[in-house]
Amino acid sequence: MSEPTRGPDLLHIATPSGERYENVIDLAKVRAAHRVLYEERETISADGNTAAAIATLQMWRCLLFAGFPITPSTKWIETVAATIARDPAGTQAAKRVKLLEAEHAVADYLAGAAAACRDLIFPTATSSVGLDHMTETTRSLGASGLGNVMIIDVYRATANYPLCIEGDPSDTLAHRDDGFIQIACRGKQQIYDTIVQAPVLGMHPHIMTPTQPGYYGIKDSHRSARLTVEPDREIHAFQDRWMAPCPLPGLINGDTAFGNCVTSRHFQGFKVSQKRRLERVLELLPRIGADFERHFGRPGLAFFDQAGFDDRPRLDIAVASMGPDFGTFEALRAAYEKRHDLSLGGIAMRLLTPFPRDQVRQRLAGARVVLVVNQAHHSGRGHLTLDVADALADLERPPRIIGAFAGLGGADVSESTWEAMLDDASAVLGGAPAPPWRAYHEGRPV
Amino acid sequence: MSGYKETALKQSCFQPGSTLCPGCMESVAFQNLGRVSDNGVKTIFTIGTSCAEVSSLAYPNVVAWGRGDQAPEDFTRSFSIIHNVFESAPTLAEAVRDVADSLTACGALTQPVQVVANSGDGGAIAIGLRALLHTIHRRARVTIMVLVNEIFANTGFQYSPAAMPFADTSTTPVGPGVPGNLQLPIDYVHLAIAAGAELVAQVSPAHGKLFLKTMERALESTGTAVVFVPAPCISGWKFDDGETIEIALLGARSGAFPAFTWERGKGGKVVDCPVDQKERPPIEAFLAAQRRFQHLVRKNADTGAPEIRPGREADVERVRAWAQGNVERLYKLAEMK
Repeated sequence: MSEPTRGPDLLHIATPSGERYENVIDLAKVRAAHRVLYEERETISADGNTAAAIATLQMWRCLLFAGFPITPSTKWIETVAATIARDPAGTQAAKRVKLLEAEHAVADYLAGAAAACRDLIFPTATSSVGLDHMTETTRSLGASGLGNVMIIDVYRATANYPLCIEGDPSDTLAHRDDGFIQIACRGKQQIYDTIVQAPVLGMHPHIMTPTQPGYYGIKDSHRSARLTVEPDREIHAFQDRWMAPCPLPGLINGDTAFGNCVTSRHFQGFKVSQKRRLERVLELLPRIGADFERHFGRPGLAFFDQAGFDDRPRLDIAVASMGPDFGTFEALRAAYEKRHDLSLGGIAMRLLTPFPRDQVRQRLAGARVVLVVNQAHHSGRGHLTLDVADALADLERPPRIIGAFAGLGGADVSESTWEAMLDDASAVLGGAPAPPWRAYHEGRPV
Repeated sequence: MSGYKETALKQSCFQPGSTLCPGCMESVAFQNLGRVSDNGVKTIFTIGTSCAEVSSLAYPNVVAWGRGDQAPEDFTRSFSIIHNVFESAPTLAEAVRDVADSLTACGALTQPVQVVANSGDGGAIAIGLRALLHTIHRRARVTIMVLVNEIFANTGFQYSPAAMPFADTSTTPVGPGVPGNLQLPIDYVHLAIAAGAELVAQVSPAHGKLFLKTMERALESTGTAVVFVPAPCISGWKFDDGETIEIALLGARSGAFPAFTWERGKGGKVVDCPVDQKERPPIEAFLAAQRRFQHLVRKNADTGAPEIRPGREADVERVRAWAQGNVERLYKLAEMK
């Protein structure tokens, strides 16, 4: 970037993406127009969609909420709309809901809005085929540098034959390569906290990549639990500490061309750069998570949740999974250990993309058997199995890996199903052969 | 409203550097719109994938957009453009409009902006008809310019729903048993009015003053303004260098795409195209000027006069009837307020 020069009216700065005119957009005015939702910390009962809606509504950088309903994400836009409708300013309220005609239009809208002003955050929520329908533009958004786009994905299987609204993460896992930072949540608090942190990560000038926080449909989207909501001012204080005005021009405050057609040589270089930007998430995410924990006293963003690793460098069996069913494993872990005289730990993935390969390897390297529980349709051993296998591949003595499918189609992974999987892992520990993958349902292999 | 000469002397936001075919009507339209939009208001263009996009935004070639080699000192003359997928231009424009309006409403933006969407007919009428109609339906305060060359020129001159009957396109090729495109074009003008547009026009820069005046009105519109620009495509329609404007005039006057302007509450008018077909150039004169219709009509080698190929009389009559229907329908639409 060049040294700023002053024109007759406005300071303007040359950037690699064109000219940026300073002071065209007065962000302080946007901040001042924010309608406070929570003055003080409160504990409420909320489902996941409501938790997600509250988090987005509390951000002063969120002015426009674009959406199109699709089960089970619909309550996000309904909650946002109902909250804004209560604003006495009515149609003059600073925040607005934007209803579009289809999910594809929502994605296009996010591209235009986020490029128009790179300092505002543009959220939406979708699910399943809604995310599929957006795909043409999500792939563009993933490469766009528009980290101010946040697509909240409420997990639901991606098929209409047969049609079902149950929540398995087939949708988000089918979109691993869209270019988004994908973060899985479990529990209402984690949903709320993650959505507060996600744009901080995505909009960081070293990353500039859109985010896709997600949570399980029905299991988390529609079931209520206790939620601690922070005062808006604290949300703002946390985010403002990380978010400086974007150094690149937007359409409104810039003289710029966005989304150019490029030569092969530039395209190839760009794709390398895009991948590097995404990899920087691995460096920045723990710092943001740690700062969140300092600020709010709850765990912030992490690569994964973990259970049972305390002071035990070696474990007999380690589980790698994601989502709220990991809680069932946590609940039975100690009893299973005692009953079978085994040491047992596990991780529930939070950061899905980019996959934290080194951190997963470090965590699971001491296990003799790794049981990977996949809950989404996959043509082979499972998305998570392949990533975990890749992470462990270059160990001198890698653990044996069992690829399990459980909870497909949104089924609860019951205690008996967990025990059936752990029994098979125990057998492998004792020398039994491990099949490439095995499916489990209602307490037994199928 | 600026005078014609005054507008012509303004600086266009479409600068040299594009790789559009020489004589492309899109280039002429952009040159003219670029001048009209130099009106003291910051301009933001959105553009769906099209010839115009791949030919004018090809980094690291010269980006053909913007006013001058350097960013203007004066913010109001600055220019931004965003490209996204084929159908996206109206939605992108609506989004930019909304962000600007939201920022303005809370006092964060004090400078006005004007937003113009650009699509081809492939992007706006085929892939993006839904996007076009819904942006109009939501009354977005944007100007939408649709360059109608009746094909997907960008990808190799394939059929689009705006294609004329019997047109030879790469996906409706003429063969011994097939006389080209057998579909009638979709009535996009009527659709735009029905969806709720504030201003709808069909006019090309061949009607120079009318085009400039219409674009000025469009930029001033308080609702959605949609201008369909008939855009003879030198490569896809297969005509000779230097004939773009002539063919555009002939197409408008013969009833293929009459010049038409309409505003909600005021009604409209058909310009330079009488309803009585005897007062118009014959449709075969328009057909004969392009080799996409050479299976129907040819030019007499000696006189240059159009001649219907033997055995194609009925097909040409069907084109003539279609053109007459076009004209009559637009006259009726003009009466609507």
